[in-house]
Amino acid sequence: MSRPGFVLEVDDRTPPLVVHEGLGFRMEEFPLGTRVVYPPEALPAIKDVDGAILDALLHPVDSEPLPELLFAGMRLTIAFDDISLPLPTMARPDHRQRVIEAVLTLAAEAGVDDVEIIAANALHRRMTGPELEHIVGERVFRSFHPQGKLYNFDAEDRDALVHLGTTEEGEDVEISKRAAESDLLVYVNLNLVAMDGGHKSVGVGLSSYTSLRHHHTAKTMVHSRSFMDHKASKMHHSAWRMGRLIREHVKVFQIETTVNNDVFPKPFDFLMKREWEWNVKDQASMLAARRGLALAPQKLRHKIFHDMRAPYGLTGVNAGEVEAVHERTIEKVHAQQLVEVDGYSDVLVLGVPYLGPYNVNSSMNPILATCMGLGYYFNSYRGHPMVKRGGAVILYHPLDEGFNQLHHPSYVDFYEEVLAETTDPQVIGEKYEKQFAEDPWYRHLYRTSHAYHGVHPFYMWYWAAHAMDHVGDVVWVGGDRRVAKRLGFRAASSLADALEMVSGSVGTSPSITYLHNPPHILADVKV
Amino acid sequence: MGVGEFLSGGVADVRRTARGFRWGRRAQVPRSAEPFVQPPTGTVFDTGWARRPSVVAAREVAQRVGLEPLFRAQVRTRVEGLDVLERLDGPVIFVANHASHLDTPLLLLSLPDSWRRRTAVAAAADYFFDTWWKAVGSSLVFNTFPIDRRGGSMAATPGEVLADGWSLVVYPEGTRSRDGWLQGFRMGAAYLAQTHGVPVVPVAHRGTFAAMPRGAGWPSRHEGRRREVTVRFGEPLRAREGESVRDFAPRIKDAVAALLDEERTSWYEARLRSAAGTTPDPAGPDVATWRRVWAQTEPVVTEPHAGRRPAPWSRLRAEVAGRARSALER
Repeated sequence: MSRPGFVLEVDDRTPPLVVHEGLGFRMEEFPLGTRVVYPPEALPAIKDVDGAILDALLHPVDSEPLPELLFAGMRLTIAFDDISLPLPTMARPDHRQRVIEAVLTLAAEAGVDDVEIIAANALHRRMTGPELEHIVGERVFRSFHPQGKLYNFDAEDRDALVHLGTTEEGEDVEISKRAAESDLLVYVNLNLVAMDGGHKSVGVGLSSYTSLRHHHTAKTMVHSRSFMDHKASKMHHSAWRMGRLIREHVKVFQIETTVNNDVFPKPFDFLMKREWEWNVKDQASMLAARRGLALAPQKLRHKIFHDMRAPYGLTGVNAGEVEAVHERTIEKVHAQQLVEVDGYSDVLVLGVPYLGPYNVNSSMNPILATCMGLGYYFNSYRGHPMVKRGGAVILYHPLDEGFNQLHHPSYVDFYEEVLAETTDPQVIGEKYEKQFAEDPWYRHLYRTSHAYHGVHPFYMWYWAAHAMDHVGDVVWVGGDRRVAKRLGFRAASSLADALEMVSGSVGTSPSITYLHNPPHILADVKV
Repeated sequence: MGVGEFLSGGVADVRRTARGFRWGRRAQVPRSAEPFVQPPTGTVFDTGWARRPSVVAAREVAQRVGLEPLFRAQVRTRVEGLDVLERLDGPVIFVANHASHLDTPLLLLSLPDSWRRRTAVAAAADYFFDTWWKAVGSSLVFNTFPIDRRGGSMAATPGEVLADGWSLVVYPEGTRSRDGWLQGFRMGAAYLAQTHGVPVVPVAHRGTFAAMPRGAGWPSRHEGRRREVTVRFGEPLRAREGESVRDFAPRIKDAVAALLDEERTSWYEARLRSAAGTTPDPAGPDVATWRRVWAQTEPVVTEPHAGRRPAPWSRLRAEVAGRARSALER
């Protein structure tokens, strides 16, 4: 029986608590009275994964069973979530592999010849062969990749895109031509957090800049409260409008999977335990890990963390009509991640870990760290932000990983040129977005190399727009001062210093909330 | 990173961990995390052996040879109202106020031998039975058995012990008083008396708080002399026909309150006040904590038995104490 999440109040009995900070973690002694939001423990995983998947395909929600939709001579396209999910990368076999194998087994029985499998990476970087193989498995990879039938989506290939029309709000819907012209589009999703899935799968994953520019804006993000709650998120409202338009043109069979909170493999599993329950072995593991990481050069630390494979367990698989399926998926995600929090506080503390959706096998550059902290973690709420308007956010990250030239070339220019000018997301968007989005060199790198699209750093900055708009102070504990300054923030060497620095806006004895993740948490803030 | 920095970082880490995780001491759970700790189950200590004839004999030796001389060497005792037991036979439930660890030995050693050998004491499972040596020790010397005071419901054991013909000592306050005054009574004793049809004998202790309050490990002395502690037994009470536990429990508390009143004044005055419903509130006056403790730590000065005139200094002390008390009541 897994225990639910809860809010701890730090008292004299509370041991030091784990705070993630990039390629490492620290043991922090929080001021008495600090509220610490702990995620629920991992839900029990489904034992018979293949059985559950087959059952979902044969008994879908609001749709005919998959075998009835398959026939010889049809055009079948299977799309799947890319490497940005789940985090960390799942230990083999990936659940998407097992779902795709089940779909292909049924398709083979129905005699379907024309099958293409597309990684729905939108403006994310192209995945390498081994990365694709890790997700879909060796069998699928060998059957499709050499023939060019398993590939990354290319949002800049004008010949492979089709404009389906505009929504009632005038938003362009442009998606993969192959997907749009298929008899059936099967989307295989891995729903890690509440923002994933639903109409966002096809409507974002297989769409181009022409579509994305409508909802990936600073203005939309400020009004997405939060983007982890699709019913209260302007971005999702837009994606939903687009999804409904897509539904008129192509039959979509959505398969969504949910996972539990088992994110850290041994010997790092102590990071998932509540600290006061650590036994001697856990304490020894922590001390050994801390010393080992202190001794290891940056490259080795990067390798240690990025080689981790999460032993995620499957908690649910639902298939059928997009919206009906997504409702069930969200229920499962909430069961695993939702924690009720009573009211907001003056200060929110977040530990930014080594990994976000856009630096798998790459480096967490300062822009991605900002996106992870002020974007994803800050938005991990439902109802009201965990911090009051005008309050302060204290983040932990050294901001010292630099930029990966292969994956994030446009980030370098964004950091050096755009952020040097202004850090206001609205101004940045209006002034520079189009220039970066249409830059031929970034386009070329996106299409032929493994670079994120030229406009991607802008989107990262927009993710953080809601937090920047909402809070007064942002301080990075342990962060590089020059980098923090470039980002428009400040750096402190310790939590005490950071609290001292924000005392101007929140006073000398502020209420503090620390979001103890990973594993993932969604704070249900009751005001 | 230099070697020095690495080493000092390591030392700081170990120090923080040792302090935060309380190395060498019992680990603690933050208070706000406590409800999520599974309560330990299956650790109810079986005390059936403590009531076997051989152990009863061993206890007799322990109490007579060890406990009694030691106890009497530390405090002076005074026992009143034992005659009520002459009118009873069979098991009863002794319900007493609880202010000190002295209460149990005082009560047990005051009982006539035949009663004492057949009396068991209900003791908090989480305090007296949390380690094996405390459990064995208290069962052996005091014939204790564990009850769960957190759940509000009594374990199955008290009923069985009663049914086997043993009398019980129950402290319905659940824990020792923090200031010597009476706390709220729980329903367990009334429930047991009603279900098993046994009488309740109210008992009042006085002076035990002054002699050895919560936190003290040994009885203190007053001006170099042993302190006096008294125990007074009251008239047995029985649940009336059709009387609910909720009605019976306050009656028991009133009886203990009347005994405490009697302790301080006289039997007849206490009876008069009890009949008029003006028995002083045993929970004490609503004044600052220190004044409550002050009043309770006053040394007990009792009139010596008839035939001996109190020494002048005793009378003076009684006079001073009386004035202090009336000042408090004002």
